[in-house]
Amino acid sequence: MAVEARSEITPRELFEQLVIREEATPILDVRNEDEFAAWRIEGKRPLTYLNLSYFRFIDDPEGNAERVARAGDTWIAVCAKGDSSAFVAEILRERGMRAVNLVGGMEAWGNLHVPVRVGPADSRFELWQVNRYGKGCLSYVVRAGGETIVIDASRHLDVYEALLGELGAGLVQVLDTHVHADHLSGGAELARRAGARYYVAAGEGFELHKAVDPLPEGSKLTLGGKAGLTIEVHPIATPGHTPGSTCYLIDNRWLLSGDTIFVNGIGRPDLGGHVEAWGRALFGTLHRGLLNSLPDDILVLPAHFSSPEELDRDGVVQRRLGDIRAASPELALPTEAAFVEAMRRAVKPPPEVYQQIIAANLSPARVPDEKASEWELGKNQCAASAPRAA
Amino acid sequence: MEKILDARGLKCPMPIAKAKKELESIGANDVLKVLATDKGSILDMQGWAKANKHINLIKQATETDENGREIYVHYLSRVS
Repeated sequence: MAVEARSEITPRELFEQLVIREEATPILDVRNEDEFAAWRIEGKRPLTYLNLSYFRFIDDPEGNAERVARAGDTWIAVCAKGDSSAFVAEILRERGMRAVNLVGGMEAWGNLHVPVRVGPADSRFELWQVNRYGKGCLSYVVRAGGETIVIDASRHLDVYEALLGELGAGLVQVLDTHVHADHLSGGAELARRAGARYYVAAGEGFELHKAVDPLPEGSKLTLGGKAGLTIEVHPIATPGHTPGSTCYLIDNRWLLSGDTIFVNGIGRPDLGGHVEAWGRALFGTLHRGLLNSLPDDILVLPAHFSSPEELDRDGVVQRRLGDIRAASPELALPTEAAFVEAMRRAVKPPPEVYQQIIAANLSPARVPDEKASEWELGKNQCAASAPRAA
Repeated sequence: MEKILDARGLKCPMPIAKAKKELESIGANDVLKVLATDKGSILDMQGWAKANKHINLIKQATETDENGREIYVHYLSRVS
């Protein structure tokens, strides 16, 4: 097979290669060891990694190129922002290896958003899951007739505005399931630009400086306008991950579950430093609240995933509520005391930057892009049950 | 003697590539002070000093320059 000699690959192309086509191209990561240990490129299949920091190639290009050659002759070269890996990839290509540089590095990988259609095609209704794959963040766009809502938008508004443009429908509501800790919300700004309303419930313990409204349980949004088909969006109060966490039931079929339930477990209740109180609230949400009364065949669409295994064959992160109920050990814990104890034992210090991100998401001030990129590096750590180490 | 390498605004791998060149030209008892704006330079300099036995990372500091920018300062010397 003829292989096209190329020197670089975009994050989107790499996503197609590793996730859609499920190729297992080896990764040469030239960041320092700490950065590599904390966060790396993952594909649908397990990948081979070689971590050799770029400064080793400055000191000894020949010797380190030989080390790489001994491990293989085809590589995707990756660094933090894409410049050091370009330098290393060139050294390798000069020595006859196939080394392709990831443009923009891990920063760009973490900013890639891929919209994936959920459910069957329907000209009147569509639901899109926007997968920010590198960080494991999921957001949603729902269209009924000529109206759309966006849920859990990231700060990369161009992604949503492009999709809304393709759908040809007006944005009427922007919702966040909760005050996010791992990434900056784009909700308020997206709503402002479109003249739409923005809703997020912060809840007790959060000082919300933005002029936004909560959407209380018992209220509903109707989407579709005069176009013939209307669907309803029902907020369900699900305190626990945060006091104001809210799930949204879309058309009585899909549950946008935020960080309350993931396809492989539940959201951690310790990010606010109140694991006991929030843990008790989460137990109540999972066992006594309205969420608990939803039927098993509701499809759960969460705000995060932890492992590429959670993407189904269509590339969607979704699971029947009944299957999650049957498979999650945390949901099987019979008493509040046992549950809170398990959550307490699972407490792990969150990345320090999470406090800054929470504060920024509560404030109307805009975070400069450079600072935002720095804060958002890395995969989300919002699940109580971390998957087996990669 | 202290020599200053202004690597502000430079992207990786340039701060370390330039620091390596400068270190080759300074005396055995001299200190090279590297100014960088890339936050990644903190861990990278530590990793470099660990991997390269001829480099000594004396200390690191974060300062604010006249434009309010955060500057990451690295003090290096040669180990013969």
